[in-house]
Amino acid sequence: MSEPINVRDLVPGSSVVLPDGAVAEIVTNPGDGMWLFARYLTSPRDPTLVGQEEMVFAPDVVALGRPAAD
Amino acid sequence: MTERDARIDRLLLGQEIADFLYREAELLDERRYREWLDLLADDIRYWMPMRRNVKFGEDEREFTRADSDINWFDEGKDTLARRVKQIETGIHWAEEPRSRLSHLVANVQVQGAEPSFAAPQQVAVTSRFLIYRNRVQTETDMLVGRREDCLQRNGAGWLLARRKIILDQNVLLTKNLTFFI
Amino acid sequence: MSMNGAMNGRRGYRSGLVNLGVGEISREIFVNEDIYAEEQERIFARAWLHVGHESQIPKPGDYFVSSMGEESVILCRDRAGRIHVFLNSCRHRGMKVCRYDEGSTTVFTCPYHGWSYGTDGRLVGVPYFREAYHSRLDKEKWGLVEVAQLSNYKGSIWATWDPAAPTLSEYLGDFTRFLDLQLDGWDGREGQAEVLGGIQKWLVPCNWKFPAENFSGDTYHNISHRSVDLAGIGPSGASRRDMGERDVSRKLHVCIPDRGHQTILYVLPAGRLPPPAYMNAPIVAEYFRHCEEERRRRRGDESRLIGAPGEIFPNTALLSRQPRTMAAWHPRGPHQTECWRWFFVDRDAPSEVKQFLRDYYIRYSGPAGMTEQDDMENWNYAHAASRGTIARRHPYNYDQGRGTAVADYEYQGLRVPGEVIDLTEVQSSEQPMRNFYRRWVEFMEADDWSQLATWRSRTGRSGERKAAE
Repeated sequence: MSEPINVRDLVPGSSVVLPDGAVAEIVTNPGDGMWLFARYLTSPRDPTLVGQEEMVFAPDVVALGRPAAD
Repeated sequence: MTERDARIDRLLLGQEIADFLYREAELLDERRYREWLDLLADDIRYWMPMRRNVKFGEDEREFTRADSDINWFDEGKDTLARRVKQIETGIHWAEEPRSRLSHLVANVQVQGAEPSFAAPQQVAVTSRFLIYRNRVQTETDMLVGRREDCLQRNGAGWLLARRKIILDQNVLLTKNLTFFI
Repeated sequence: MSMNGAMNGRRGYRSGLVNLGVGEISREIFVNEDIYAEEQERIFARAWLHVGHESQIPKPGDYFVSSMGEESVILCRDRAGRIHVFLNSCRHRGMKVCRYDEGSTTVFTCPYHGWSYGTDGRLVGVPYFREAYHSRLDKEKWGLVEVAQLSNYKGSIWATWDPAAPTLSEYLGDFTRFLDLQLDGWDGREGQAEVLGGIQKWLVPCNWKFPAENFSGDTYHNISHRSVDLAGIGPSGASRRDMGERDVSRKLHVCIPDRGHQTILYVLPAGRLPPPAYMNAPIVAEYFRHCEEERRRRRGDESRLIGAPGEIFPNTALLSRQPRTMAAWHPRGPHQTECWRWFFVDRDAPSEVKQFLRDYYIRYSGPAGMTEQDDMENWNYAHAASRGTIARRHPYNYDQGRGTAVADYEYQGLRVPGEVIDLTEVQSSEQPMRNFYRRWVEFMEADDWSQLATWRSRTGRSGERKAAE
């Protein structure tokens, strides 16, 4: 079980790792500490999701990915 | 000057300033409003902003701004004197009969003294207040918060030049503010 | 209008509590718990209520948490720029979705279970929607509860929960021009108002109807404010306001029957500009002198109307001049009111003018306002005295000036709508209160708007209408 991550202040453009190993880039962070609007960058389980946007629930962020590009 | 001398200067000034605040509180509680007005600089600014509930990280939205926003108080000596005058008419019904007040002043801290603690002309002091108000039969209010004051030297004494009052309330829980804080 | 038998014996509202025929109203209406509960259903759930002003939510995502009756609501502007008013309560289990007073956001998320709503109220985020709900929750049905109707009138935002309510325009009727005095520019341009930052909110231990009837046009209580007149907080250094324009005008009570809106109104003589005002600050005095000339140029005879305290039924108070402020009297149980105040300036007024007025507004109105303080004291103890067993057997007297209102009032060529009493000689009347409570009775008794929108059935027969008591 991974350590909880406070998603409240994650920066748009950085990415997060989801439980199935998918990586999504944060498009919008509503700043509520519960949700992120993110776009799939990779999705090994279901490659059709790549490029799609989805709301990511905070407990589903298991790790931080790449930070936002400068 | 030794370090001990510097500490003694701070100690003496701290007590002198605290005594000023206690004496000011007593004047208000004893309803000696004219004498209280005499403790105010002619160009005093007396300001109590309103407070909002704001998101973590958006502290700049928490307080209403002086000069431009609506505040609870944001006024000078003329208006403060008119408040006293109004009470003294004896027919300001919100303060007639007059309230019973106790101003408890605590956590007095001298934040700075210019040009020096040894010979100060201006002092910045913070304190916390608990004001107990009881009026008519069972009406009771308590206001609690912090004050940020600037005092300026006036002969052997001090005048209150600026007061910012930070009240720990959002919706005001008392029906009026007929008293000074 | 009499009640049916089923109503008799109820502990709440019953006919006879308000007896306008003799000008008496029972104290019961201020203190009775059942009447209060009925008011929430019959009045606050059906009427148009003032929520805020568009200048408080200028950009998409901006929000201001307000109140409609007892209930917390969110006034916000969605991504497309449209204004909404929502019940501030998660559809799932009720937690408030916003406990900040104002700000800007992309979503409103409930802290309890994480349901998340867009600024258009749509439910967009449901944790474990696929897993726990098996994708079967119809999100379209579970967005934030939105008001049935919303109206933006010259920047002021009004809302009602009742889809059957008439439009705001019809609800206001002939009172609209008095709301115009509040919202139009000092120089006569339409809708120039902006709200100063900082909404005053404070609690007063009285029933909401005490302030509501006071602002309906209590011309009798001026004596209570004598101390502030003696203190001289007015913008020319005397009294509590510049009295010049009032001293040269006819002083009226204007009541819009059928609507329950009423106001004090001053009407200048034909061709007369208001005397100089704001003499404590030459820049401000000159600004207003210029505004008054422009106002007359733009509005002609209409510019002779000088605003004063008024009330839009049920709980929105107006005051358009010295000071310029609107209030909402939010019910918080029968024995408590949460008063909110908005203060207005013209958005393009010079900063010196705005600052001068702001200083004046603060020392006049609100809990630190040297005028309003005495009102709250009166409301507090009048309410307290209304609660006693013996006290409640003795109704209040609302008889002043009964039977003296006229329709078709005119002064030097300017017609004033509604039922009017000219107070210039008689000093005072209680017609506005009778008008307010007549409407209160109608709301408490009417089953639906067919009974409330009584003006629709008065298809101008002779144009003459007997002035009501």
